[in-house]
Amino acid sequence: MQLNINGESRTSHADASTPLLWVLRDELNLTGTKFGCGVAACGACTVHVDGQAVRSCVMPAAAVAHQQITTIESLGSLEKPHPLQAAWIAEQVPQCGYCQSGMLMAAAALLNNNPHPSDAEIDAAMTNLCRCGTYQRVRAAIHLAASVMGHAAKKTGGAA
Amino acid sequence: MKRRTWLLSALGATGALVVGWGVLPARSRLGSPELMLKTEGDVALNGWIKIAADGAVVLAMPRSEMGQGIHTALAMLVAEELDMPLERVRLEQAGPDSIYGNVAMLVASLPFHPLDSEGEHKSVKIKMGEWLVGKIARELGINATGGSSTIADLWDPLRMAAATARASLVQAAAAAWTVPASEITVANGVMQHASGKTAHYGQMVAAASGSTPSGIQTKARQNWKLIGQATPRTDIPSKVTGQATFGLDVRLPGMLFAAVQMCPMLGGTAASMDTTAALALKGVSKVVPLDAWGGGTAGLAVVGQTTWHARQGVQAVKVQWQAPATGTLDSQRIQAHLLKALNTESGFTFHEQGVTTQAEKAAATRIDALYQAPYLAHATMEPMNCTAQVKDGRVEIWVPTQVPQLARDMAAKVAKVDPNQVTVHVTQLGGGFGRRLEVDFVGQAVQVAMACEGAPVQLSWSREEDMGHDFYRPMHLAKFQASLDEQGTVTSLRIKSAGDAISPRWMARAVPMLSGPIDMPDKTTAEGLFDLPYGFASQHMSHVATKSGVPVGFWRSVGHSHNAFFSESFIDELAAATKQDPLAFRLNWLKDAPRYAAVLKLATSKAGWGTPRPTGRAQGLALHESFGSIVAQVAEVSVDNGQIRVHRVVCAIDCGTVVNPDTVAQQVESSVIYGLSAALFGQINIVGGVVQQSNFPSYPLVTLSQAPQVETHIVPSTRHPAGVGEPAVPPIAPAVANALFALTGKRQRALPLVV
Repeated sequence: MQLNINGESRTSHADASTPLLWVLRDELNLTGTKFGCGVAACGACTVHVDGQAVRSCVMPAAAVAHQQITTIESLGSLEKPHPLQAAWIAEQVPQCGYCQSGMLMAAAALLNNNPHPSDAEIDAAMTNLCRCGTYQRVRAAIHLAASVMGHAAKKTGGAA
Repeated sequence: MKRRTWLLSALGATGALVVGWGVLPARSRLGSPELMLKTEGDVALNGWIKIAADGAVVLAMPRSEMGQGIHTALAMLVAEELDMPLERVRLEQAGPDSIYGNVAMLVASLPFHPLDSEGEHKSVKIKMGEWLVGKIARELGINATGGSSTIADLWDPLRMAAATARASLVQAAAAAWTVPASEITVANGVMQHASGKTAHYGQMVAAASGSTPSGIQTKARQNWKLIGQATPRTDIPSKVTGQATFGLDVRLPGMLFAAVQMCPMLGGTAASMDTTAALALKGVSKVVPLDAWGGGTAGLAVVGQTTWHARQGVQAVKVQWQAPATGTLDSQRIQAHLLKALNTESGFTFHEQGVTTQAEKAAATRIDALYQAPYLAHATMEPMNCTAQVKDGRVEIWVPTQVPQLARDMAAKVAKVDPNQVTVHVTQLGGGFGRRLEVDFVGQAVQVAMACEGAPVQLSWSREEDMGHDFYRPMHLAKFQASLDEQGTVTSLRIKSAGDAISPRWMARAVPMLSGPIDMPDKTTAEGLFDLPYGFASQHMSHVATKSGVPVGFWRSVGHSHNAFFSESFIDELAAATKQDPLAFRLNWLKDAPRYAAVLKLATSKAGWGTPRPTGRAQGLALHESFGSIVAQVAEVSVDNGQIRVHRVVCAIDCGTVVNPDTVAQQVESSVIYGLSAALFGQINIVGGVVQQSNFPSYPLVTLSQAPQVETHIVPSTRHPAGVGEPAVPPIAPAVANALFALTGKRQRALPLVV
């Protein structure tokens, strides 16, 4: 099957029922997306499908074959970080770091839908598990990124 | 056996030992340049430091990064002594030499009361014990990341190695420029002299090579530029881009993937298996029966093209599982057995002062309580895994581990090769918390790789296997008895606890040649009970070591994690029974423990202890020492629809000299959440030998919406650095339980807490 991943068309030989996670990790070597539980309970495997956060460990690859899949590998780079990645560094969020790809992808989907989430909205959207307990820094970094993106949007909004 | 008798026999104490004891000199772990990897263009100056041609520094890194920020903190020590920018210190995995072994962790296993080391002068008994265990640890050279010990252990040796390297580089420059070394200054890794001469380290390293000047002093505290400054962690950028390589992210040409299933009954085996259906599946190549390695349980592995193929294969194997010959385990039965042991056996006395029996006879009032804590799983976010390749008589493994040499030894044992034929690559660890002090999964990976004709194989566990085959925090029960006189003054405290000892079992798995009886006295059973700071005149603390048969292991903060819940809850009971404020009661009994009192005062003043709280909320406090650090926490709690809600946790910590204060704050925040998951939800039950919890829905963790705001306040200190990764775990359960008592009047004596 053909999958559109990070803006490229990629070929997968996996069975249609194979969860997207394993196609990404084991077939295409996109290992930034993590396995944590296999039952959509922890969110370590979160990717975007057409801009929405999806837990890829329970999503059959074939079900998203005609949609835009985005993984942590294309969220941003060290040279050109996504505002959330910059905020994550500013707030020193990650500890072991294993859940952070999923956290960032969930946060990015949240800000796509809601550029200025309240604490309650962050609570509702960010259900990813972190065993290192980085939650309060995750919350602070989302607010920081929202504020930075808001300022940037104002500037470009003024010009447009 | 009395404590003193045991100590003396453990120390093998003779008069001869008294000669020459003292702190092991930091220079004894300098190591020779040959210990470092030979890399093009780099020159090693000792066992820790290489200088690159461009003047950058390469540090031999023996400790594992599992989120505790240690790769940054150790690099900071080196950058400080060499006056280098932190970003110019590169890391290289250290080899297996004994200079990289962890001495501090073993020394900390001695059952000395922390108050006996508070003053300026330690007793001869303590010095002798530390010296002897230090010598043994130095000989053993076990490289382990655990026990919150990395900075405590490497603080002197690593700074000395960097300072020695710096001195030889400066001397080389002085000789080249024919100026006195004392006139050369260093900034940003560049040496300069008033005459205008400058050189970076790379330009002088050839001349410096081979010289190891002696009489070197590390930098004076007042000259530190980096140590003590909140410093961004060097591992974080790769962790926000998905580029950090965890064990599961290792990818090698021609790599296969293996999934496992162990016998669901702990300690059981496969009586028979039918692999026909599994082998008929597309992408499945092999089924390999697995032995029980490293104290784990036997089972099977399926090899496939991807993890998913392998897991489908595992599902398709039809297995007849067989219970262990010793019978199946049952946590309820174990609990009953522990209670019986508590009531019928005297156990080993870890601490005794005054005459407790006399105080008990004379008591006007007695207060008794029974506390209990369940088995717990570690639940690291990255499940257990190891990648192995066995080829041409050599073994190569890629593994997230806290114990690289033990992983190497396990690989050698399984492959029946000399340990020298094993190469270990330590990856980033997706959490450790003590689970990765075990190497059961390494044995499995090598066994599977041996069946795969030289191909590398990544063996990984599902979450269900990870939860069902952990080395659990052991269940413990503790009985408290306090005596009060007519005035309501506490005259004695007697504590007896029961549960499995971890250290002797771990030693038997890890270093069998050094192992003793599994019910031998083990500090981890009694820590947090025998070492209380409160000055009650008579105290007696003993522990009954049981043999439940459940695989037990070190769980973040180990015995402290449950014992602090027991002891700090009971102290709160005593405050309530004597109608005193919990803070005032504690301070009254901390007159000989000023450092503890200071930490408690800091936390309570920052938390606004004693000031009115919003309606429906109450505060609780707890104070606990572990891993050399003292932590006080004040938790503010409410109960909402039967759910315990923790709003805010104010922490004060005295962890000695601080290297990176932001890391301290991170670790305190992390510890509070880790401990809170256990306090509110954590429970592993075993029925018919099978662990009943299987994944996060049945073993919940605190989520973002349930996470309290955590504030960290550090007590300024010039003492030797102490632990940071664990000491804030133990106080959170009693702080929350004590707040619930203040709120509801109901005393919680079992974990997890239930309202």
